[in-house]
Amino acid sequence: MAAPQSAERNSFDASESSDRIAYFDATYELAQSAAPAVGGFINRTYTIAGLPVCLRFAGPALLSPITEAFQHLDVSHSSPLLTICIWDTASTGKKMPPPPWEGDDFLARGVIQGYNDDRIHTAFQHGSGAVNMLDAERNLAVFWVSSAEEMPYWEKGAPLRTILHWWLGRHQRQLVHAAAVGNSRGAVLIGGKGGSGKSTTALACLESDLLYLGDDYTVLKSDPFAMVYSLYNSAKINADNVERLPHLGEKISNPDRLDSEKALLFVHEHYPTQTVAELPVRAILLPRVTGLRETRLKKSPTAHALAALAPSTIFQLPRAGAEAFKFLAAIAKQVPCFTFEVGTDISGIPPAIEGLLAEVS
Amino acid sequence: MTFTRFKVNAPTVTHETIDGEAVIINLESGCYYSLVGVGAMVWDLLYQHAPVNEIVTAIANTHAGDAAEIERAVTDLIQQLRAENLVVPDESETPLAQFSAAPNHNGHQKTAFRAPVLQKFTDMQELLLLDPIHDVDDMGWPKPNPEIGK
Repeated sequence: MAAPQSAERNSFDASESSDRIAYFDATYELAQSAAPAVGGFINRTYTIAGLPVCLRFAGPALLSPITEAFQHLDVSHSSPLLTICIWDTASTGKKMPPPPWEGDDFLARGVIQGYNDDRIHTAFQHGSGAVNMLDAERNLAVFWVSSAEEMPYWEKGAPLRTILHWWLGRHQRQLVHAAAVGNSRGAVLIGGKGGSGKSTTALACLESDLLYLGDDYTVLKSDPFAMVYSLYNSAKINADNVERLPHLGEKISNPDRLDSEKALLFVHEHYPTQTVAELPVRAILLPRVTGLRETRLKKSPTAHALAALAPSTIFQLPRAGAEAFKFLAAIAKQVPCFTFEVGTDISGIPPAIEGLLAEVS
Repeated sequence: MTFTRFKVNAPTVTHETIDGEAVIINLESGCYYSLVGVGAMVWDLLYQHAPVNEIVTAIANTHAGDAAEIERAVTDLIQQLRAENLVVPDESETPLAQFSAAPNHNGHQKTAFRAPVLQKFTDMQELLLLDPIHDVDDMGWPKPNPEIGK
């Protein structure tokens, strides 16, 4: 089906800031009006990167798909600093009006041309079909998807990523594409693009005394010192890598779909005492699969940490750019960096990390 | 080289030099780059708006090597940086600021000259490709494509 012509679209012309705010308001009002038909709103307030954030669901349809990844975080009783209204059309019957923008306004990373400024942030996520909007001045956000059933597995593993990235960035925090594990001495941040060994390294630690903060996305704060926050307790592994992590086999949430999906599991469900909300960063590891049995560490230049962390973070997140780069550079300068040669004997991974933490703390 | 002075192509390009290695990102193309040694020195001098001839002099003063080779290698690098859209001609009338080359590792002793190499990484470019809209729902929204964003 072709996109409706302009005449069929609603009347928003976002050439002015007030128009962008009006479109946000209209979308927010839709979220409000969607709730009564499905029993009203369900609120869940979590402490996300140290800040209270309320997820406000219009009915139960998206509650489980979105909150499972946040189950390890403390429930906050403070007044939320951000409220995200979450709704879908399938369960509420409330339709999202046609987008007021044209097809060529969908820019790279889903940014919507004409609907972004310092205050209003708008992005469409093509993979899940989700609309993400933030009014940074009112600390109010809207997340819409057509239906819970259409949410891909990876969205359930890292929900609301775009909105949280935008908002946390305004609170001296940076969402980062990196895993993290640690202990009472602190954490190692594990950077690198997909397939570099981040997940394998982080998940190999679940059968040890090390604590888990995330295998794909975490949140950083650089001032007064480098701190990493857990964001999601989910973990994703390539199906062909599950054999290397046999302790996870029965814990995978989507075992019947591994022909088309990565294995997804929720760590907190199976290792409730091993997730931790935050730790100071002591080192950055850049995993590299060598095929050798032994796991080894080699000191690496600081610039390599920046090159591993920044591009894969910035190019995944709508509107991320120079600020995120400078933030990650500031983190990289604070702690030592090591190439982490991941051995085929995964039992060697946790002691290598524990030894490093003892050395650098 | 026609232009005598270049500047970093901000805000499209962002960069940081740490311990003698420059990491440079082109936010529009999705490419990122690394420069070490002489290359990082040249980059930092470009960032300080130093004219090309002054950059050549600064490198020659701190490195042992054939002067003509140094000039050729430095101008070649600047041409590469320009071709990658990392620097653009600086035609401003503003007076030159004081600039300085970072000291080489041997302090005052000259380091053997090694021609700079611009390392280019393109593995993130696919993340910036425009997501194709193949089909839309009855309200005009693009249908989800779970293959995007895995």
